[in-house]
Amino acid sequence: MVAMPSLPIHCRLAVLALCGLLAATSARADLADATERLAACSACHGEQGEGVRGAEYYPHLAGKPAGYLFEQLQNFRDGRRVNAQMTWLVGSMDDAYMAAIATHYAAMPPRTRPADTGAETLTEAMRQTAVRLVEEGDPARDVPPCTACHGKALTGLEPAIPALVALPADYIIAQLGNWRSGVRHAQPPDCMAEVARDLSPGDIRAIAVWLSRQVAADGAGPAPAGSFLPPRACGAMPHGEAP
Amino acid sequence: MRSRRLAIALLAALPLLLLILTIGGALLLFQGGLEPYRVPRDAGTPIDADTGLLAHGEYVAAIGNCAGCHTVRGGTAFAGGRPFTTPWGTIYSTNLTPDAEAGLGDWSLPEFRHAMRHGVSRDGVLYPAFPYAHFALLDEADIRALFAWLRTLPASDYRPPPNRLEFPAGWRWTQVLWRMLHYRPQNPDFGAEMPAEWRRGRYLVDGLGHCGMCHGRRGAMGSLPASGYLAGGRIADSGWYAPPLDGQQLARYDASELADYLRSGISPHGSAYGPMGEVVYQSLQHLTAEDARAVATFLKSVPPRTPPRPAQGEAAHSFVAGAADLYEKHCAGCHGRDGEGGKDGAWPPLVDAVAVTAPDPVNAVRMILYGGIAPTTPGNPQPYSMPPFVEALDSAQVAALANYIRVRFGGQPPLVTAEMVRARHGIPAH
Repeated sequence: MVAMPSLPIHCRLAVLALCGLLAATSARADLADATERLAACSACHGEQGEGVRGAEYYPHLAGKPAGYLFEQLQNFRDGRRVNAQMTWLVGSMDDAYMAAIATHYAAMPPRTRPADTGAETLTEAMRQTAVRLVEEGDPARDVPPCTACHGKALTGLEPAIPALVALPADYIIAQLGNWRSGVRHAQPPDCMAEVARDLSPGDIRAIAVWLSRQVAADGAGPAPAGSFLPPRACGAMPHGEAP
Repeated sequence: MRSRRLAIALLAALPLLLLILTIGGALLLFQGGLEPYRVPRDAGTPIDADTGLLAHGEYVAAIGNCAGCHTVRGGTAFAGGRPFTTPWGTIYSTNLTPDAEAGLGDWSLPEFRHAMRHGVSRDGVLYPAFPYAHFALLDEADIRALFAWLRTLPASDYRPPPNRLEFPAGWRWTQVLWRMLHYRPQNPDFGAEMPAEWRRGRYLVDGLGHCGMCHGRRGAMGSLPASGYLAGGRIADSGWYAPPLDGQQLARYDASELADYLRSGISPHGSAYGPMGEVVYQSLQHLTAEDARAVATFLKSVPPRTPPRPAQGEAAHSFVAGAADLYEKHCAGCHGRDGEGGKDGAWPPLVDAVAVTAPDPVNAVRMILYGGIAPTTPGNPQPYSMPPFVEALDSAQVAALANYIRVRFGGQPPLVTAEMVRARHGIPAH
């Protein structure tokens, strides 16, 4: 573990609690008959959580960190994220089943190739903006590079930072827009809300369209927990001191 | 001359005036006389709350599902703020936590008891979205325990938004007129000669559980007339149909299957979905086995208020071309080629299911559009799910499928049109 001592104690406890819950659930029972049990999920996210052919909006779930998926299910149930279909489906679901579902999709082979065919053309200007923000950020506006938290390969970081590769552009635009307008929330500190508010709508479009074309190596999943230290405080994730 | 005419006019109006007073007095008497409007403001005696009493209070709160209405999604439990849309405007549930300003603060037990039983508090006459007609049956032990337990909640200073009601419903005193026309207190002694289990079931159904709020058939101005007792109908502010609860409707369940269903949300005859899924998740899964059995026993004894429906397939209707193929392709895999279901009810049978037998087709349309997952309970910890078809099928196909299953498995006429399906697009917030 890199620099764990810089973590506030409550953050470390929260990470441990999350890992404990996930471990307890996966030890208790894998999801038997998962394909049939999760038929409602497959309709939009694909049977293996790989996303659905032709879907230009729904994100893939396969190979994303279990902690991230688990928190999103809770967020839909508890009103921190708003999607009527998702809230409708998980409104009467307890944490244990959510953890089992999250663990199930986290264990699927990660989606690393874009499914998005509907994104607009990436102009040279957009490409330059995107590459600069994704790889270097914008210190003047206090915007960290995406890679600082989501990893050099943009495949995420265990236990709770998701991959950004292979997501549909419209989905990314909607999420950043929802953070800006206060519709989407994460557990505090909600770092993505801060980042999204510091980006302009043009930046968001450029980043989303560029990201939707990125490919990672086949099978590349999230980096192991602690393999690098994100610069910002995000939920219960370990992080370094703010620069 | 002029004053004489006035005197004659007054004399002539006197019988009319007397008639109005008599009728008004009688209506006032029917809704409980003047007692409901005498809100006790004495401090009451402090409750000696031991752990047994508090545990009982927590059970009462769970089975009465206070949190179901008095919590908004993502908000503090019991702090209120959930909106209820009525034809007269929006009502927000209140904060039940002990906060002095925003919650029940310095309410005494007598005042709490009075509000529960009569629907009148220091704030005036409560709107009948609060089920005081049911809670009037609550016994003293349950009210005491509930009040004591509510006072142990962490105080929340959250203030729900003020109600937004149109004239004249915005004036609380108009509720007295509503009560005179539409509120008739239940007879607490009804069924006094029946066995204890039946009486306990009646107490839970008509009192604490307030089942009639959804399963009663509404009359004029949102009322729950005796003639619509558990007779089923469209649930206020939800866009779902609740079935009647009586011996005929529930004939396919035996008492222990019904009791198990209430606690687990699943049975060989179907799963809880929509608002009932919520009720099972938040409330009924906590029923003791004895109480679940009592509810089932009572419900199966309720005489039906609706005529028996036509037997399966009796209605001679032809299906839209292609409907059978749609069923075969999208439904038969789980619900069976003949609607028999599978996996011991985890894939519910369609034969005799409420969604196909109900006179109102809205449940079938909504389930096909948006799918569902049964509530997680100890009896069904990892429920199966039904996929949404809103993206896979167009409105005409959804209508054809809904009609197909309702005609074939429910003996209902094909009422559903593509326009009706389109009107149901979009999931209401609750």
